[in-house]
Amino acid sequence: MEQEVLIAGIGGQGIQLVGKTLALAATLAGRHAMLAADYGGEMRGGPSQATVVVGDAPLRALPIVPAVGAALVMHDRFVGAVPERLRKGGLLLVNSSVVDVDAERAARYAYFELPAIELARELGAPAAAGLVMLGAFARLSGVVELERLVEAMRSLLPPYREQHAAGNATALEAGWAAGADRSATAAAG
Amino acid sequence: MSSSAATSGLELLEGSTAIARAAITAGCRFFAGYPMSPFTGLLESMARLLPGSGGVCINAQSEIEGVNMALGASAAGARAATGSCGQGIALMQEAIAETALNETPLVIFNMARNQQDYFQCTRGGGWGDYRTLTLAPKDIPEAVEHTQLLFHLADRHRIPTILYGDPLIAQTRIGVRIDPLELPPLPAKDWALDGSRGGTGHSRQIWTWAMGKATDPGPGPDRHWQAIAEKFERIGAVEQRSEGFGLDGAETVVVAFGSAAKFTAHVIEELRDAGHSIGHFRPITLWPFPGEALARATEHARRVLVFELNAGQMLDDVRQHAADRSAVLPIGGVSIHESGLSYGPLLDVPVIRERILAAMRGRRRLAARAGLSAGSRG
Repeated sequence: MEQEVLIAGIGGQGIQLVGKTLALAATLAGRHAMLAADYGGEMRGGPSQATVVVGDAPLRALPIVPAVGAALVMHDRFVGAVPERLRKGGLLLVNSSVVDVDAERAARYAYFELPAIELARELGAPAAAGLVMLGAFARLSGVVELERLVEAMRSLLPPYREQHAAGNATALEAGWAAGADRSATAAAG
Repeated sequence: MSSSAATSGLELLEGSTAIARAAITAGCRFFAGYPMSPFTGLLESMARLLPGSGGVCINAQSEIEGVNMALGASAAGARAATGSCGQGIALMQEAIAETALNETPLVIFNMARNQQDYFQCTRGGGWGDYRTLTLAPKDIPEAVEHTQLLFHLADRHRIPTILYGDPLIAQTRIGVRIDPLELPPLPAKDWALDGSRGGTGHSRQIWTWAMGKATDPGPGPDRHWQAIAEKFERIGAVEQRSEGFGLDGAETVVVAFGSAAKFTAHVIEELRDAGHSIGHFRPITLWPFPGEALARATEHARRVLVFELNAGQMLDDVRQHAADRSAVLPIGGVSIHESGLSYGPLLDVPVIRERILAAMRGRRRLAARAGLSAGSRG
């Protein structure tokens, strides 16, 4: 059984870091992982998308995944391939700080939302909204444990960014905690 | 706490890094090239990893400089490689021809932007009677194997060999293990200009024209180039590689190479599950093209569909070898990402599925219109 997740947002939100952290965490857990990235030349504001596939055997997934079982939507300016690739009934986790999904659309999926930007701000790690989302997604999907995410995040930080390690870990933990309480993330729709 | 990762032995590596590691595992100790996307990642990985492995990596001032540096290192006996994408390898053709004609092993990584370099890889753009042995991996784990195999084949035959990669292989990250490939032993490089004959008066020569020197006249260009041509004919016979499935009695056979073949295989497994009589054939060596295997695979096929991301290049080879050339239909096409650096929307499962199904329907309709029975070739 392979689990696929499509992560979509805009450049600057840490979409690629979220993808790398998840793929590395799964690898550290001894699982098979793939990360396919797709982003434009812009540094900030351009479309940014990453697909992660995790499984327990050598992966059969293609590097351009035709359908995914889960999606993480970080920004309403770029939802990428989510509408056409996310399977009906799939897990859809939305950053409700900037993304608004109507009830009709949400009803097609196992829909969850999280005000990730507000949460990250409250934690004093405003740049770590993506990691809040990742923590929640990991808990909701069961794809990987929190400890592995933290370990992966730390090993991906370059030395000149080490001051962010603690804030990032707090963000992952807060997301993980939010993901435990399904009623807190599940929207009315 | 990466105990389970240690158990599984998997490392999350970008394809370019996995290939660089495989090259070093294969004994590559010299690499020179000039950055161009999506080859740049491989050059960067080599620059990072080679010095620590007792090797040298040079960011040359041009592709022409890079390939000639690698040729020089190889002539001195090192396992050497260069690379670029098709646009840069176009500049290297003169040196690649020299390499083939003076029998210096060399591995060339074409981390291509798409599949439009099939002719470049298989026909070459230099002068003289030579071919470049080309392996087209379908994914990163296979690229790791192919990289090692290419160094071996380059040495065994004393030829230039090419890895035909693409952005999906270069830039996707995957949990992979770099296992050394077990390969048969090779003869010593008793031709290498390694300085061991210094002062003996019997220096070795690496020659393209084989005109020799006063003390060693050499065979001359006629005999030398005949021998080269015969060598490539022998290689063409013994190094063909391919794989396939569902070919036994299949009405439709789809032929694809490289990453694209992973997509077509995926679609064909689905179509077979849905009851269609369809099989898959993948040339692994693009040169030598596995013509005999393709002829056998298409013996009973009513249609042979060629999916490639170009205007129809492998199509020529498929037409040449398919059991019935009139059954061969192209279903691919040019499809380029808006950046110009990768594939466009044609490389996608739903699109490929629709193209295959349309070709199957269309062929039937044509047959019906021509008043032929459903069982005959349309």
